[in-house]
Amino acid sequence: MLQINNIAVSYGGLTALTNVTMQINSGQFVAIVGPNGAGKSTLFKAISGTVPITQGQITFEGQDLSNVLAADRATLGIAHVPEGRQVFKNMSVLENLEMGAHTLAARRSWRKTLELIYGLFPQIVTKQKQLAGTLSGGEQQMVAIGRGIASLPRLLMLDEPSMGLSPAIADQIFDLIEQIHKEQGLTVLLVEQRVAEAFEACDYGYVLDSGRVTIQGDRTTLARDGKVKKAYLGM
Amino acid sequence: MIHGWMIAESVLQALYTGVVVGAVYGLMCVGLALIFSVMRVVNFAQGEFLMLGMYGSLIVFSQLGIGALLGPYLGPFVANIIAAVVIYLIGCLIYQVLLGRVTGLRAVGAEGEGHYAQLTLTLGLSLVLQNGGMMVFGATPQTLRTPLSAKAFEISGFWDEATIFLNQARLVAFGIALVVITLVGAFIHYTRQGKMLRAAADNPEAATYMGIHVNRAHRMAFGAGAAVTAVAGGLIATFYPFQPYVGIEFVIIMYAGVVLGGMGSVVGAFWGGMTIGLVQQMATFVLPTQLQNAAIFIVFLLIILLRPQGLFGRNVERA
Amino acid sequence: MKTEHHLRKETLQVVVGLLAYIAITCTVRDSYYQLIFSLVPVWAMLGVAWNIFSGYSGLVSFGHAAFFGLGAFVVTLLLVHFGITPWLGLLAAGALGGLAGLLIGLPTFRLRGLYFSLAMLAYPLALLYVFEWLGWREITLPMQRVEPWKFMQFDDQRIYILIGTGLLGLALLVNRRIARTRFGLSLLAIKQNELAAQGAGINPFVWKLKALVLSATIAGIAGGFYAVILLIVTPSSVFGMLVSAKAMTVVLFGGVAHVVGPLVGALVLIPLGDFLNAEFGSRWPGIQGVVYGLAIITVVLVAPQGIVPKISEMLRRGKRTALVRAPMHLDASPYSRSPAPAEATVTERVTLLDASGLTKVFGGVAAVTEVSLTIKRGEILGIIGPNGAGKTTLFNMLNGLIPPDTGRIIFDGRSLDHLPPHLVCRAGIGRTFQVVRSFARLNLLDNVVVGAFSSHAADADAYRAARLALTRVGMLDYAEIPATELTILQLRLMELARAIAGEPELLLLDEILAGLGAEEIEYMLKVIDQLNRDGMTVGIIEHTMHAMVRLADRLVVLDHGVVIADGAPASVTNDDRVIEAYLGKRWGKHATD
Repeated sequence: MLQINNIAVSYGGLTALTNVTMQINSGQFVAIVGPNGAGKSTLFKAISGTVPITQGQITFEGQDLSNVLAADRATLGIAHVPEGRQVFKNMSVLENLEMGAHTLAARRSWRKTLELIYGLFPQIVTKQKQLAGTLSGGEQQMVAIGRGIASLPRLLMLDEPSMGLSPAIADQIFDLIEQIHKEQGLTVLLVEQRVAEAFEACDYGYVLDSGRVTIQGDRTTLARDGKVKKAYLGM
Repeated sequence: MIHGWMIAESVLQALYTGVVVGAVYGLMCVGLALIFSVMRVVNFAQGEFLMLGMYGSLIVFSQLGIGALLGPYLGPFVANIIAAVVIYLIGCLIYQVLLGRVTGLRAVGAEGEGHYAQLTLTLGLSLVLQNGGMMVFGATPQTLRTPLSAKAFEISGFWDEATIFLNQARLVAFGIALVVITLVGAFIHYTRQGKMLRAAADNPEAATYMGIHVNRAHRMAFGAGAAVTAVAGGLIATFYPFQPYVGIEFVIIMYAGVVLGGMGSVVGAFWGGMTIGLVQQMATFVLPTQLQNAAIFIVFLLIILLRPQGLFGRNVERA
Repeated sequence: MKTEHHLRKETLQVVVGLLAYIAITCTVRDSYYQLIFSLVPVWAMLGVAWNIFSGYSGLVSFGHAAFFGLGAFVVTLLLVHFGITPWLGLLAAGALGGLAGLLIGLPTFRLRGLYFSLAMLAYPLALLYVFEWLGWREITLPMQRVEPWKFMQFDDQRIYILIGTGLLGLALLVNRRIARTRFGLSLLAIKQNELAAQGAGINPFVWKLKALVLSATIAGIAGGFYAVILLIVTPSSVFGMLVSAKAMTVVLFGGVAHVVGPLVGALVLIPLGDFLNAEFGSRWPGIQGVVYGLAIITVVLVAPQGIVPKISEMLRRGKRTALVRAPMHLDASPYSRSPAPAEATVTERVTLLDASGLTKVFGGVAAVTEVSLTIKRGEILGIIGPNGAGKTTLFNMLNGLIPPDTGRIIFDGRSLDHLPPHLVCRAGIGRTFQVVRSFARLNLLDNVVVGAFSSHAADADAYRAARLALTRVGMLDYAEIPATELTILQLRLMELARAIAGEPELLLLDEILAGLGAEEIEYMLKVIDQLNRDGMTVGIIEHTMHAMVRLADRLVVLDHGVVIADGAPASVTNDDRVIEAYLGKRWGKHATD
């Protein structure tokens, strides 16, 4: 579904990504882990188009994305739940979710989708009219994810959904993501700090370090690989 | 001898004028606030959009035959709307060709320099429009009077000999201002397009992930801000003479109103403008005429120095 | 700092330019054009004044008309009511201007950015209305043909050109002194990154105020002279928006923060504007403003820094030096920490920094909770932890940038409570920042020297310290290279040099390795190691773990704002809590190494 071919990204004199090649197949749950500054968020931004690639090619469902504007990639079915949640703070929860349902198809089945989202995240139902900026971190994350699935995407990209959340809430969010993946059959691309959890849930995983893919494999291969621990802890 | 009813009459008269004029000021401020809240850009040319609204209304009314078509009661206001539509398009064009290059996502890397560029670009624009207006329209002050400009409702009998005159032209302007503001508010809050504008202002990156073309949103907001202020201009034209430099007189009022209302808030800007209008009228009691204008600046300075976030605002750049 | 030779050459160019100006304009016969040419120095002077403040500090002032107008009125009123000669009047104009600058600066500097600019906009306009109310709507300076030199009134307009150019020369002298000394560099540092400037020991408020006062003084004198030339003063002609607009236009067109910028701008725009006004003004009133406006718009789009910088940039593109083209020679051998002193010595180390119970809450979210740590003199302490753990917030508290909600910080026996960042720097703590912004148009040495100002009173000493700092990071050969030509590693080394130029006792490094390539990391590690061996205590936030475990004597691990481990790298990286923080709770079940 998503083919990333040997891309490189650099800005401000820094080389953020080099020779990155990945393949995400329809229906897969792919995890991307790596120490900080490895370029994981940059990768997502390159896919979404908010950061230009200096080399290589990204293809989504056969279409070369280099001619597709960032805002239009969302319409193609790529949903990006960004790092740090990034909800629209001055808009209500409901309005946030409405913004998520931007494709025609999504708007047509809005009622059903809304029910789905509230079913997954019952905590935010009572806060519908509240300004998103006043919610707790975990609730904001729910809104952000809800916003992502509201567009009925084909690919859901989540950038560190657990960051800044307490472990208990992070676990909850994580379980919900797994649930969405299984129930909706959605293709999920997940960047996660918590490596073990990510590997457990995924079909395939990549380790990014200093802008390169250093390790890749399916879940059993990854969990055993001593190199993963070295990448994070240095020894 | 000064009777109680005389004071009451003066106060009520000033109150009426203040509210009525204040609403039009509020509309003017809403235009600026639209531009500012969406794009964080200081627009020096906002006064010129006001001026263009005034001249636009005049031209559409007298030269393009709307006056002949619809008569002097309806004509000026329809002309106002038509002129505003044209100014919306001009605003979008200005954004596309000039401002778009120095604002928005492109300016993110440039930090302070991006801000510099916006300030000076709009300053240059202001100079061109003011003086271009001078070249095209000439310096003679103009008005767009309606037959209502000289008519007023009289209210008396509530206190001795007190009589208040409710100028009809101003009353109509007040009414139209309220209508336009309600429409603008409804647009921003309830329509999908309006919500997209708000989202683009709130978080441009996340908005892009929602399929919103942030540049287009900014362009629309700029055009809308210009048009709304232009409508206010057309209304002011019915009771205040104007010439190409008239923008300068109102720029400070606009900024004072927007700052008072809180710079992030479009609603706040309306109330800010209203307050300034009231202050201006009430100042006639306390201050001699020449100082009234100075009073607005002093109030403005006090607000900025003491409470920069205004009444409703949130983000403030303070040391 | 440019070499003496270069400076003298530049001064000579300017002097020759000014003399040439006088020579050429004095050949003009038409008294109207003589008038215009006598006004060019006035606007250039106002431009220089504006440049001194706004060009260097980055705070856009729309209010210089306030100082200009006050100056004009002072000279006029002193002459009209007291018969005081304008020669003295000009001095008074400068003094009043400076005073106004002080009074305006004190309250207004609390504001930033947009709010500052708007406030500055209001001052001259308020003054305009007040002066009109005071009855000074139009004042003419009385004719005093009897003693022209005493009252500065000459039949021959050209003498005004002479005096005006002379005054301009003085203003330029002031500008030059500022530009090439710590005054200008400190202002640039503040403009570039105010937080980093504070961290380097610069007190922004004081410098901004000094700049404004100086700028206002010059503006006042310009205004006073303006009144003398025109012999008539009205509030709108000296307080009006067009005055501030002209000052800004002239500088933005010619070149911001360039000594010569306002000159070029005034030389081109003023005669152009007045010429257009004279020739076409009756048919097309306002043509002057349109041309100015178009000039500004074109410059902003095409050459945002101004004409002069654009031209010099174009000229420079041809001549990149050989030194820059050859990449820096890096010793590629992998770094390993010098043999650690015996364990006994380590525990005997004196505590240099003692932070206890630090807590910081932002909007309901606790970024840092009850964090206590010590840094021993002579050690390298690494602060690590997953993303969002609160590491930078911790540094910001140590550095004085944000005050902790609770807790104390004792540095070298002194409490750092409530100390602003520039004083924390003077106490002996240096810091690098993640985002490195250089003064693009200056060379490496000028970029580094700002770090030495707070510890060296004399500029010469500061430059010496800067060179020493560059030697320590291995970049002395690159001292004259413009900062725009530096690679990312070199920029990081520049930032490091800036932080050590003040010879701090404790150096705080914030993610200095981020984004560097493998060889570059090794190089940087060696540099830091050497600094440490020479006696500098280092605290470093890093994510590049393979580097940290080799560099640090001790590691402190933060997770969710709380310290979860503190000890030698070997033990910390095997600590279960740490592994869990980085890799997740369930890692233990699967890991087999």
